[in-house]
Amino acid sequence: MNASLTPAQTVGPFFHDCLLGDRLAANAEEGGERVCLRGFVYDGDGVGVPDAMLECWHGGRFARVGTDAAGVYTLITIRPVRGSSLTRAPHISLAIFARGLLNHLYTRVYFPDEALNLSDKILLRVPADRRATLIATRDSGRPDASEPTYRFDIVLQGTGETVFFDFK
Amino acid sequence: MITSIGEIVRGDADVFPPYLYEAYRATIRRAPRMPLVEVPLELAELKGPLPNAILVSPGDADLTRNAGTGGEAIGQRLVVTGRVLDSRSAAMPDVLIEVWQANAAGRYIHKNDQWPGPLDPNFLGIGRCRTNGAGAYRFLTVRPGAYPWRNHPNAWRPAHIHFSVLGPSWSNRLVTQMYFADDPLLAQDPIFTSVPEAARPRLIAAYAHDVTEPEWALGWRWDIVLDGANATVFEEPRPA
Repeated sequence: MNASLTPAQTVGPFFHDCLLGDRLAANAEEGGERVCLRGFVYDGDGVGVPDAMLECWHGGRFARVGTDAAGVYTLITIRPVRGSSLTRAPHISLAIFARGLLNHLYTRVYFPDEALNLSDKILLRVPADRRATLIATRDSGRPDASEPTYRFDIVLQGTGETVFFDFK
Repeated sequence: MITSIGEIVRGDADVFPPYLYEAYRATIRRAPRMPLVEVPLELAELKGPLPNAILVSPGDADLTRNAGTGGEAIGQRLVVTGRVLDSRSAAMPDVLIEVWQANAAGRYIHKNDQWPGPLDPNFLGIGRCRTNGAGAYRFLTVRPGAYPWRNHPNAWRPAHIHFSVLGPSWSNRLVTQMYFADDPLLAQDPIFTSVPEAARPRLIAAYAHDVTEPEWALGWRWDIVLDGANATVFEEPRPA
C-alpha cells in the first residue's frame, strides 16, 4: 500500500535518558480537573514490565511516563471532558513502548460510571467481553492524594489482554 | 535465520515488524496474542502532539559536545542528516526528532548497560532537533560501536542510532533504528531482521560524500517516510 514507509523498531532498553529526561514542557498543570492514572504493565507471565514507556495524548496535552522497577507507571494529567458528540466518551489515548515491542501499541483509557461509554463508537467496535480492559477503575490506594486516582493496568499478553488498536 | 513469526502486525504487514518474532526473545512474552481492533482515525488522532511539547535548544543536535563538559566525544565524527517525508514525498516540517545511541565503544550511559566497554565522559549519547521547513534534520555525532547482548550466543547488535519521530500525527508516531550500510552484523540481528526483507533497506543509512565535511566529519544520509495525512478521517460533528 505504502511502499516507501519507514519500518518501526523496538525502543529497546536504553531510552530513558533521551525520552524521559526533564525536557517535557509542563502541560498537565493548566486548566481542568487533575486526575492520576496508575497501574501495572504486565507481560504474558503476569510479571511487571520494568522498562516500558507510555505516551499519553488527549485534548492537546502530551505526556510521557516510564514504568518503575515493579512495572508500575503513574501519570498525572487532566481529566478529559465530554465534547458535543454522543458517540464519543471522554478518554485518554495511550501509546505503549517497551523492549520486546517491535512496534508500539495503541490503546485508550475510558472512565467508569460514564454513560457515554455505552454509545462510544470505538468501544462499540470492541468485542463486548473485552471492553472492560479499556475502562479504568477507581483506586482508593492514595488516600492522601490531592487528585482522584484511577487504576488502569495494561496486559500485553494472555488472560485479560488489553485491547490494542490499529488505525484503518 | 529461521524463526516463528506472529500474525499480529500494526500497520502495513509488508513494512512493519510483527509483534511476535521469536528470534528476538523479548517478544515472546510481550507480544499481544489477540487480534488488534481496527478503528477509524478520528480528528484527534490525526492531529499530532504539539511540536512545542518538548523543549529543544540548538546545541542539542551536537552529540559530540552536548554533554556540557567542555570536552569533545571520542570517535569518528559523523554528520547524520536526512528528511522526514510523507508517503507522497512531501516534506514534513517541525517534526521532533530525538536520538539516542551507544558511544564509539558500544557502551550506553545507562545503569542496565554493564558490559565492559569504556564510557566516554564527554558523550551522553542523546540529542534532539526539529525538522526545518524542507523537512530536514541534522545531527553531529560519533559513529556508535556495536555491543553485545544476551539474546543468543555471541549476539552483537549492529551499530545503530535510535530515532523517535514525533509530531505530525498521533497515528504515525514512529520509533525506529537507523543502521549503517555494509555492517556485517545486520544479518544476525533479529531486531533488524524482524522487518520484512523488502523493507529492511529503508532502515539503512547511505554514506553521502556530499554531506561529508572536509577535514571534519563523514556524512551519512537517511530519510524517514511517515504515513501521510491522506487517510480518510471520521470527522466529529462541529459543536453548534
